[in-house]
Formats: sequence, C-alpha cells, structure tokens
Amino acid sequence: MKKIFILSLIGAFVFASCKKDKDQDENPITGGTAPVSEYTLVKSDTTANDLVVELFAKTTTIEIGYTKLYVKVKDFSGTAVENAAVTFMPMMDMGSMQHSSPLEQPAFNASSKLYEGMVVFTMHSGQGDWTLTVNVNGDDVVFPVNVLDSKAGTKYVGSYSGTNGEKYVITLVKPFNWTVGMNDVSIMVHKKATMTSFPAVDNLTVVMDPQMTSMGHGSPNNLSPTSIGNGYYKGKVNYTMTGDWRLNFDLIEAGSTIVSAAYIDILF
Amino acid sequence: MRSLINSNEMKKSLLFLTLILGNSFVFSQDDTLTASQNYKEIVIQGQKKQNKDNASSQLQESTDKLLSTTPGITLIKRGNFALEPTIRGLSAGQINTTIDGMQMFGACTDRMDPISSYIEPTNLEKIQLSTTPDENQTGSAIGGGINFALMKAQLDAPNKFSGKLGAGYQTNANNIQTLGTFQYSTKRWALLVNGIYRKADNYHAANRQEVLFSQFEKWNAGANLMIALNEKNRISLDYIQDEGYDIGYPALTMDVGFAKAYISALTHTYESKTKVLRGIETKVFFNFIDHAMDDTKRPAELVPMHMDMPGTSRTFGMFSKARLLLGPKHLMTLQVNAFQNDLHAEMTMYPDVGSEMFMLTVPDGQRRTIGLTVADKWMVNTKVKLSYGGRIDYNLSDITTEIGTQTLTSFYNGEAFQTRVTGNVFAQATYKLSHHAEMFGGASYGQRAPSLQELYGFYLFNRVDNYDYLGNPDILNEESINGNLGLSMKYEKFAISVEVFANSFKNYITGLVLPSYSNMTIGADGVKQFDNISSALLTGGELTLKWNPIVKLTLQSVNSYTYGIDEDGGYLPYIPPFKSVNTVVYNLKGYKFRAEHVGAFAQNNVNTERYGEGTTPAFNLLNLAVQKHFQLKNTKAIHAEVGVENIFDTPYYEHLDVMKIQRQGVNFVIRTTFVF
Repeated sequence: MKKIFILSLIGAFVFASCKKDKDQDENPITGGTAPVSEYTLVKSDTTANDLVVELFAKTTTIEIGYTKLYVKVKDFSGTAVENAAVTFMPMMDMGSMQHSSPLEQPAFNASSKLYEGMVVFTMHSGQGDWTLTVNVNGDDVVFPVNVLDSKAGTKYVGSYSGTNGEKYVITLVKPFNWTVGMNDVSIMVHKKATMTSFPAVDNLTVVMDPQMTSMGHGSPNNLSPTSIGNGYYKGKVNYTMTGDWRLNFDLIEAGSTIVSAAYIDILF
Repeated sequence: MRSLINSNEMKKSLLFLTLILGNSFVFSQDDTLTASQNYKEIVIQGQKKQNKDNASSQLQESTDKLLSTTPGITLIKRGNFALEPTIRGLSAGQINTTIDGMQMFGACTDRMDPISSYIEPTNLEKIQLSTTPDENQTGSAIGGGINFALMKAQLDAPNKFSGKLGAGYQTNANNIQTLGTFQYSTKRWALLVNGIYRKADNYHAANRQEVLFSQFEKWNAGANLMIALNEKNRISLDYIQDEGYDIGYPALTMDVGFAKAYISALTHTYESKTKVLRGIETKVFFNFIDHAMDDTKRPAELVPMHMDMPGTSRTFGMFSKARLLLGPKHLMTLQVNAFQNDLHAEMTMYPDVGSEMFMLTVPDGQRRTIGLTVADKWMVNTKVKLSYGGRIDYNLSDITTEIGTQTLTSFYNGEAFQTRVTGNVFAQATYKLSHHAEMFGGASYGQRAPSLQELYGFYLFNRVDNYDYLGNPDILNEESINGNLGLSMKYEKFAISVEVFANSFKNYITGLVLPSYSNMTIGADGVKQFDNISSALLTGGELTLKWNPIVKLTLQSVNSYTYGIDEDGGYLPYIPPFKSVNTVVYNLKGYKFRAEHVGAFAQNNVNTERYGEGTTPAFNLLNLAVQKHFQLKNTKAIHAEVGVENIFDTPYYEHLDVMKIQRQGVNFVIRTTFVF
C-alpha cells in the first residue's frame, strides 16, 4: 500500500516535470523562450527580398514617450533570421512638416530572437501620423503606428529650448512601477541636431525637484539623476503620497543652466 | 517565649499591613489626606467606604472634569471633548495610560482620542494616578501613569437588584446626558451593566460667543460579569463599547466623524488570606479603536482641501500579577505582561484640480512589548515603610505592510524592525514622624522607548507649533532621574500634604526643525522630526489643604505647579502654570452648598520660537452648586444637584488649550440621580 502511494507520488512529480518542459518550448510567436504574453504583435509585413518582418511591443497599444519596440525577422520557412542588419526610422508627418524622434537602433537578442530597439514617440497620433520604417538588410518596410496620448494628468516626454539655442528632448524611461516612498527614476536627454537626428546627451548635470502641484509641497531626500551613458540619467525620486507629481528638471551644462522648468508629470 | 513574641509581632505587622493596604492608598476628593504619597485615587463608584452623595455626583461628571481637579494632572484641550491628560508636564508616550491595567492606544494621529475619551465614569470604580513608577506599572514609562479601574459587579450585594438612573442638563452647550447602571447580584455570580448617552451642541464662551465646531454626541455601554468559582477563584468578564459621532474640535482643522472603541477583557483572580501567595490576577484583553476624521461640516472657504483621515488601533495582550507575603514585613509584587499594538492611519486628499492623493501617516506600525515588574513593600518598622522595585521591558517595533515599509523609505534608509530594552528602578520611603505627620520621598530612574508615532510618524501635523512631524527610527530612548519629597500632616480638623519633585531628563524627545524639508500640510510652517535633546528638567510640586473649622464647613485647596526647561535653559512646551482649585462646602439641613474657585497664574514661561507656544493670561473662576440627597424608602434615594459654573461669565482659557480657544462661559447645571 505504501509503495503504491510512493509510486503515485513519483508519477505525479514526473508528470508535473513533463508539463513544465513543455512550457519551456520555443515560443511560437517570438521563436524565443520568452513567454507569449510578454509581447504583442503590432504589425507584420514582407520585404522585397522575401523576409517576413514583424513588429512587437510589450503592450497592446503604443503610448507617447519611451517605447521599446521589437522586430522579428523570419524567412519564408518561418526560421528566425539572426544576422540581419535592422535599423529604425520613425517619422512624424504633421502635414506642414515632418520630423523624426530620439531612438535606439535595434540590436539582436539571442534569447528572445528579437531585434530590440527603442523609439521616443514625442507626439501622439492626434497631432499627426507616425510611421516607423524598419530597414532590414537594405529593404524598407513601413509600418504606420498609432500612438496614443498618455493618460490625463501625465506627461512622459517634453521638448525644451535651451539658452544655448539647442532643442532638448527629456523622456521618462519606462517601465516604472511607482510606489509611495523611494523609487528609482531614469530619464533620457536627447538633443535635436536636425529634423531627423536626435543624438543622446551625456555631459549634463540634472537637478530634479518633485512637487505635488495640487498641494504645493515637495518631498525630501531625492537624488537627482546622474548620467550613466547613452543619454540615460539615473536617480531616486521620493513620493510621499500617491497622486499627481510633477518632476521638475533643470539641465546644467558646464556650470550654466541651459534648460530650466522642464518637467515630467506622473500619476499613480 | 521567643516564638510567642515573634508571633505577636507578626500579628501586629499583619494588622499594620492590612491597614496600609486597606486605607492608606486611598485618595478621594472628599478624603484627600489619608497618607497618599505618589499614588492617588479618585473613587467614583467604589464599593468600599462608599459615600453616597459623592458617588452619585461623581458619576455625573465627565472623566475630563474629574481629572482636571486632581493635583498634578492638567488637560490638553482641543475641543469640548476628549481632553488629553498630562501628569506633571509629561504626556502621551511619557506616561502609562491604561484601562484596568490594559494597554490601549489612541488611533488618531492628531491626538484627538486619548484613551480617556473612550471610557465614562459609569464604567469606572476609580481613577488611579501615580506620579512615579510603582508596582502596578505595565509599561516602562518615565512619568507614572493613570489607570482607569473598571467597576466590577459585586458578589453577594445587600440588594439582589440595584442600580442608579441619572439625567443631567447643562444650559451652555444644550448638553444632555442620561445614564444608568444596573446590578444583579447573587452569591455565585453578579452582572453589572451600565450605559450613558451624552450630547452637546456648540458651547458658548463668555459673552455668549459661540464656539463653532465644539459639539459632540456619544454613547457608552459597559458590562461586567463576575463569577465566583469557589472561595478563592473568580472569573470576570468585561466588555465596553464606546461610540462617539460628529465630534467637533474647534482647535483643529478637522472634526471627527466617528470614534469607536471596543474593549474586552477576561480576568481570573485568585485570593488567599493565609498563604504566602496572597493573590494572582491574570487578564487577557483585546481592544480596537476605529476613528475617522471629518472636514465636511466645515465651511468650504476654511477647508483648503477635503481629506479623509481614518485610523485604527488594535491592541491585545495579557498580564499576570502575583502578590506574595514574604514574612511579616514584605509584600512582594511580581508582574509579567505582554501586549501587541498595531496602528494604521491613512489620509486621502481630494484636490479641486487633479487626482486624489493617498498616504499613510502612521505607516502600519506595530509595537510588541514584554515586560517584568518586581516590587517589594517593606515595613521596616512601625515608622519606616519602604517600597522599591524595578521593571524591564523588551520592545519590538516594526512596520507590517509593504506600503508601510515603502513609506518609511521616504525618510529612512535602514530597516523598520528594531528592538529596544528599557527599564526602570524606583524606591519610595515613608517615615512616620508622629501620629499626625509623616514624611515621604523617593527616587527613580526610568527609560522609555519612543512611541510608534515618534519612530515611524509621517507628516503628523501639530497645530500648536504648526509643523508637520516626521518619525525617527534612530531616536534614542528617553531617560529620566526623578526625585520627590513630601510631608503630610493630619489633625482632627486640619490636614496638609505638600510634595515637591524634580525630574531630570537625558535624551528628552521633542521635535527639531528639518530646514530643507517642505511641509505637507497646507499652511504649515515646515517640518520637524522627533529627536533627542541632550537634557531637560521638570520641577514642581503640589499642595493640598483641608480644614474643617466647624463640622458643617469644609475648606479644601488643591494647588499644582510645574516648571520645565530644555537643554538651552529655554522653557518646555505643555507646562501648566500654577493652578489652584479651592472649594468651600457648607452643610445645612441636608443641603450641601458648594463654592469652588478655580484659578491659574499667567504662563509666560514659553519658548515661542522653538515650540510655537504663546503666553497665557491668568484667570479666576467661581462655580457654585447645591446638592441634596433625599433618602427614600429602603435603600432608595434621589440625589439632586443644581449649580452654576463660571458664574461671572469670565473669558478664559488654560495654557494647555490648543489654539487658545476660549473655554465655556456661564453654565447652569442640573442633575438628578435615582439610586435603588
């Protein structure tokens, strides 16, 4: 009797193990091992040289601001292509003018089998039409992208004119999971060199001052973000309560304030 | 022969001991001078030595009023309700406030609900005040404490069914109250139930000036079931429910929507008259406070932002206290107690523009304490009596929720969890100079762990100095060395008791300004953090006089004074000036005429810059009352009282009154109690 019990226990264990193995099978969508639910297919198209290009995001909709985008390149047999040259070129068509936005060109991630890049959507689709041109081995695929505005009361990206005549884009880095108390906070700073070139800026001193605008108070013990390279600045923000917080930023270059009263609005 | 002497001596000592235990620690307002040292009692419905008119009139008073006329106690007033007691300049975490030995902690972050607000005289047998640590202490506070002893059902009472019904009305605030206590008593068990309902509108200061938002309404019901298991063992079950609604706090920016307390206890007592082990009292208890502030009744222009501020406080615990008679001269008390208190206070703010905001103001703090008290009363000889002992406490403090822990990261980098060991030692001696006079004095050294608010408080607004307060987990224990010396004399017609004290603090806890912090409360002046200052000194004393020049006339005077300075020699806050309560009672054909003068000197010893306190002018009031006790058939009686308080409609406020809100002007009082 005891033996039967032990046997059935072992059986159950083996069965459970098998099931687990199955979960770890290659993901049918991404071709990688990451779970399906992590990525959402935005658009799919085919290039002139017969490669299937799929664009993924982490969310079902794309929101203004810092947006990680993922590209899957497959041949017609469905095999992931691992050594393609993939570049992004986002473009905002406002009718009277066109401009691009800050971005990080995609790089291949061997575990997810995706080319991972980032685009800062500086406007939402209500202000014009976004397209994302994905160039794979010299062939362009153009995806129209619908960018939603962030929820009311938030502002995740802003453009500011510097006293030095340059234009700067300040972007809040996602993802974030705000809680009351101390939080890690990262921003990116880009300069608008031309309408289609937004290089990252690393040599700035950032002064951050969070304010609860509806009550007129700030919070103590914040750590203003400092440069960690590639346009990223990392610091700590202290939210003493939930609600609407405005993160005010001053950008200082070589001792002189070039941008003041820049801000990011968050709500949680 | 030798043994015979011994046994004689022993009998004498026992008798002496019984006398002391039975009588000498009793303090009541009519009997001030029975050798009270650092332990005083205000008897409300005591079974022993019951003075019927007294019991009936005390029952009708508010707990606040009873406390305010006790030497050494001064009340912090924020409204016409829930005044907070201070003892000799010490308050809150510095003193132990307990109900029948049970710990209970107010839930309100603005100190709106001292636990004295959750009990009524109908619940109480007596209020016990100690000004130094003693054998009854259940926490290692540094400034003595107040215990509200609950009224117990009396077994084998003369009447199987007895009780009191009372009603009172005060004109000033249109204040009504009705109360009742009922007791059913048999040899084996007895049940006592009591209830009170009180309601008041806004009161009027002098010149009929209405003090807006000073109304209140509350009811309180209590029950005690006493069961005698046998000669020596008893079980007692207590339950009190107290609910207040729509309570105004004119001195604060918000009122209270409701304040509810649920207090329960199960007690086992063992008594023996012969063995070494004289008695053991063991109690397990649970209490819960649910408190919600409310600003919706205030005019919109005075409310910069609507807020909800609910809070809860949950305490459970136990104590077990044994009394051992070790030989003829030593009565030892051993007490072990443990409790856990959980505090939660939150705030949701609703701005006109923008999203609602939420924060914890006491971020789910938890305090667990286990302590041991050992004390001995030693009858050295017929002249000298010594009482000495000590206590050790082990405190664990923590934050119990993730959002609470997250909140703490706003101002503190370390772990929330911490342990502290605190303790105290004390010794008090009484020396009988003659049949009429005795001297008493003593010394104690005490420490206390900071309260949960002082550790973890998060932007707690203090209306007195207009600062937001932050907790400080690194704060050091507060320490004090206390000395007291007194003399009491009692003659047939005259009695006097005088006592002086000095209390020297190390690491006194107060708020220190954090200059770079911005206040959260709209309109506040900044942020302070609880912190230690190196030293502080409190000194003062009390003088009580009683004189019966003729049988029908009694004159009594109760005087208290406290003086407090900090490490810079600046004046400490919440220190009352000299206060005097003088009464003349004249008995004429069963009518008791009573005139009471209440007065205080001006308090100019303030440090406005550091603590935000202003000065307070002197005041003098006169109260008059007539009482009559009508004896009816059997044991039935009616007690009636009419009086006028503040007869000259003097405008005044006391120094500890927050925001200097004027106190009540002229007030007519009528009360009757039917005793059966």
